[in-house]
Amino acid sequence: MSERQNWQTAFLKQARADWEAYQKTSRATWSACHRLQFLQMASEKLGKAFLVAGPSSLETTTQSHAAFVKFLRIVSNNRKLKNLLNKKRSQQRKHFNQLLPLAYEIELLAPALAQSGPNPEYPWKDAAGNVLAPVEYPFQLLQQLQKTRQGVQLLKYIEIFLTRFEEFFT
Amino acid sequence: MSQNHNIVAAAKNLIQEHFEQDPHLEKVIWIDPNQTKEIRLLEITPETFPAGAVLSFYFPPDAEFPYAMTIAEITPNEWQQVLRGEIPLPEGWTLENHQTYSGEVVTV
Repeated sequence: MSERQNWQTAFLKQARADWEAYQKTSRATWSACHRLQFLQMASEKLGKAFLVAGPSSLETTTQSHAAFVKFLRIVSNNRKLKNLLNKKRSQQRKHFNQLLPLAYEIELLAPALAQSGPNPEYPWKDAAGNVLAPVEYPFQLLQQLQKTRQGVQLLKYIEIFLTRFEEFFT
Repeated sequence: MSQNHNIVAAAKNLIQEHFEQDPHLEKVIWIDPNQTKEIRLLEITPETFPAGAVLSFYFPPDAEFPYAMTIAEITPNEWQQVLRGEIPLPEGWTLENHQTYSGEVVTV
């Protein structure tokens, strides 16, 4: 196995474990920040498991937190998915484009991308000067995930891509 | 107002919203509408990935939506397979008691 394949396997294993943790925290009465943290981590590593096999340098891919949206953009052209979804390429791209705004919201949860704003891990100071703890913050993203059609679709794709990664992407 | 009335209104609002958001949504099956704590919806749309299984997602109650809900979406073909017993429903789900909503107005 090449070094990149080793990285891919490792990212995939960790993404699957993070996803399992997300599902467990959703079932329990865990706070929103912890549920979202696991969701963000699972989606980032799913993206990295895919991107690490691509042309970007290993260092760039492993160190960047912006992997999930890039992954979905590329997936919107995936031929195996196109056949299963029975869509034209343009329709498939449109289908995935509808999921990108929510995917971007998930991606921005990473503290490094949150720009000293709301994130599920570390306290931050808001515009009024109040220091806020993630555990007390009402993340609107959870509402968007559960009340919009795109939310459920995005979660379903994350689960399918994690469980059937080898079928679609290797 | 009874708790049951509240959950019925919340579920119907949610179903209505989903029909408005997705013009391709064909049907929504409300599983076990007598449940007073959890809303379970099976949504049938050709715009979803045919996973060959009913993948459901649970959302706990929160301040804005005080009922737990579990939502799954499947293709029309998968729905036929569910009806034929070829694809199982999630654990604890049954079609013995359900309500079906189509694209028409969902009366709240």
